[in-house]
Amino acid sequence: MDTNNLSRRRFLGLIGAAGGSTAVYQVSRAMGIMQDSGPVAMLDLQRAAGSGKKVAVLGAGIAGLTVAYELERAGYDVTVIEASKRLGGRCLTLRHGDLVDELGNGRICNFDDDPEMFFNAGPARIPGHHMRVLHYCRTLQVPLQVKANFNRMAYVHEQEYNGGKPVRIGRYLADSRGFLSELLYKAVDKNAFDQPLSEEDKERMLEFATSFGDLNPNGIYKGTRRAGYKSGGFRTPAEYHSAMDFSELLNSKYWRRVYWTSQNPDWSEPLMEATGGMDNIIKGFVRNIRSPILSNAQVQSVHKRQDGVDVVYNHKGERRQLRADWCFNSIPSHFMVGIPNNFSTDYATGLAAMRHSNFFKIGLQMKERFWEREGIYGGGTDTDQMINEIWYPSHGIHGKKGVVLGAYTFDPNQSGFFERMTPEQRIQYAAKCGDNIHEGYSGYVEAGVTIPWGRMNHMMGCGSHLPGDAHDRYFKLLQKPDGHHYMIGDQISYHSSWQEGAFASAENALLDFDARVRDDAAVSNLG
Amino acid sequence: MNMTTLARAILLTLGLLAQPVLADDKDLPVPADEFVYCTVCHGVQLMGNPIIEAPRLSEMEDWYVERQMMAFKKGWRGTHERDANGIEMQPMAAALDDRQIKEVATFVSATRSQIPPQTLVGDAANGALLYQSCAACHGATAEGNQSLGAPALRRLNDWYLARQLRNYRDGLRGKNSADTYGVQMAATAALLRDDRAIRDVVKYITNLPTEESHR
Repeated sequence: MDTNNLSRRRFLGLIGAAGGSTAVYQVSRAMGIMQDSGPVAMLDLQRAAGSGKKVAVLGAGIAGLTVAYELERAGYDVTVIEASKRLGGRCLTLRHGDLVDELGNGRICNFDDDPEMFFNAGPARIPGHHMRVLHYCRTLQVPLQVKANFNRMAYVHEQEYNGGKPVRIGRYLADSRGFLSELLYKAVDKNAFDQPLSEEDKERMLEFATSFGDLNPNGIYKGTRRAGYKSGGFRTPAEYHSAMDFSELLNSKYWRRVYWTSQNPDWSEPLMEATGGMDNIIKGFVRNIRSPILSNAQVQSVHKRQDGVDVVYNHKGERRQLRADWCFNSIPSHFMVGIPNNFSTDYATGLAAMRHSNFFKIGLQMKERFWEREGIYGGGTDTDQMINEIWYPSHGIHGKKGVVLGAYTFDPNQSGFFERMTPEQRIQYAAKCGDNIHEGYSGYVEAGVTIPWGRMNHMMGCGSHLPGDAHDRYFKLLQKPDGHHYMIGDQISYHSSWQEGAFASAENALLDFDARVRDDAAVSNLG
Repeated sequence: MNMTTLARAILLTLGLLAQPVLADDKDLPVPADEFVYCTVCHGVQLMGNPIIEAPRLSEMEDWYVERQMMAFKKGWRGTHERDANGIEMQPMAAALDDRQIKEVATFVSATRSQIPPQTLVGDAANGALLYQSCAACHGATAEGNQSLGAPALRRLNDWYLARQLRNYRDGLRGKNSADTYGVQMAATAALLRDDRAIRDVVKYITNLPTEESHR
């Protein structure tokens, strides 16, 4: 054999024949073909042997549509079964006339009929290292734009800090770095370390502290122009903010809460968003998938066979059965407990041990872009009120109106607080909170949507995780198939609540699937 | 007990593992689109979903479902601040008109699923003594009595029965004077001295012989 001509793929095929699917999987990883972050290789799936191999995809969110897209291209007979009347799962963008399908609180989105007036009720941010999202946006030709996530001109607001008056984030950061640097400077200056510093290191540390916090030549923080202009600076001389009171700064809770926002890789600028709404990713898939995608089709049971999976679902008033060869299932784990199935004991136990979160968002259409008059273009204000955050749109700058994010809660108690209100009460409450940050805020609110994911039809929650030692015990198991059945969705990833997690789960399942298909092909060739 | 063992133990007792299919499900009702909402939480055929804490409702009497939906709608039920599950249910009923409530009751009573497994530990013998005050209305075998407005109890989830008894006892349900049956039930539940008494009587109820659900 001429190994020089041995392609990686052929090599993997041979490994598969010799060592089975897991060997391919492991060797692929070792060869660096499957990367977990960094550029994503196109999935190079083996073509379906013969024709008519049926694949059932349960759920038309990111993970399900990815599997449908890839397997359709590989020659499989794919059917996507979606319980909701809407495709996209939690990748939901709300516009004029859309149904906000909350259980018991259905509302129609009352934004203006204007493509600029939209709200990403689910995923809204794409960081540069979410290479799978970016790969599919490129492939599906979904235009992206930069989205400001962090903005020094936006505010820190706390009810008990600075008399409840908002402070520009930039000023807060500059002062906190200044005070921290001064402490460091003093410590270095007094050799207050266990290990004495070399004279050279000491010199550098002092320089570092001076530069990091903008200290004066004596190592004292007396305020910095980095904190922003108090007045002037153009036609008249600049007056800069003086340093705030250090102990007051320490009393605030901002540093504890989200001081590190822009240092979290998933939130590091520049972030991106799909131009015109995140659901353009879903539309990109739908444009490029020819296989049937059934909406209003609710799964009634999932039963593994020796060589496939039977899926029973209701559609158009009838009970139907799909006798599939393979099944890729993105139904939220907390629903699988209420759907008859014959999963193995460990698999079902793992699924039932998952716990879902219940994030909550409010989108408010503002009749004027008043925040731009305060010098705020994109990014977000952080507050210790129940709403947590206000985000300003990065698109439509200087337009007449805009949709801001009026609340975003992660904590179950905070989300529950809003869930117990009617949508109208939630909007009213959030508008009042805004008044404490922007003068006249509530007066600008002219339309709004509220999205409690824990109460949304066919969702009843968002990202799931396995708590405590259940993760160690079940996660890897759930990443693997149970017979010809694969669980997918962001729930089966190390990045739940992110689209990248959903894509990764699809990739994970497809790579395992492909290895098995190649394995079978190799075995039948040998036979 | 660590989380995993706990989760597993719960599942085993809840019978969530390897649910067998109903032998022949051709006749099972397919919910109208507007009632698919019910199945989102209460599960396929309203079999119940303990993770979402939504009880099994399969084959529940239509007259009882209608009455409870009206109780939710009127705010007799699901409005107490500590009744988290009731608060979740309340707007569902409030969104329906009287005709839809009748229709949903018909749908609920037509659903079928397996009798739920037992999950609570209790002293059925002590429960038998306590049940005597229940039997007058709910019947000796908890088969229910429509003329007294008392529903059957045997095929409900034991955790749900226990929770509702606590809700009655603690004033989360049956507090509105217009809710005649609810008030009556709250007074009866007050006879159960503590949570242990509640578990005992629930144990007795769920142990009662029951002919296999219609299939």
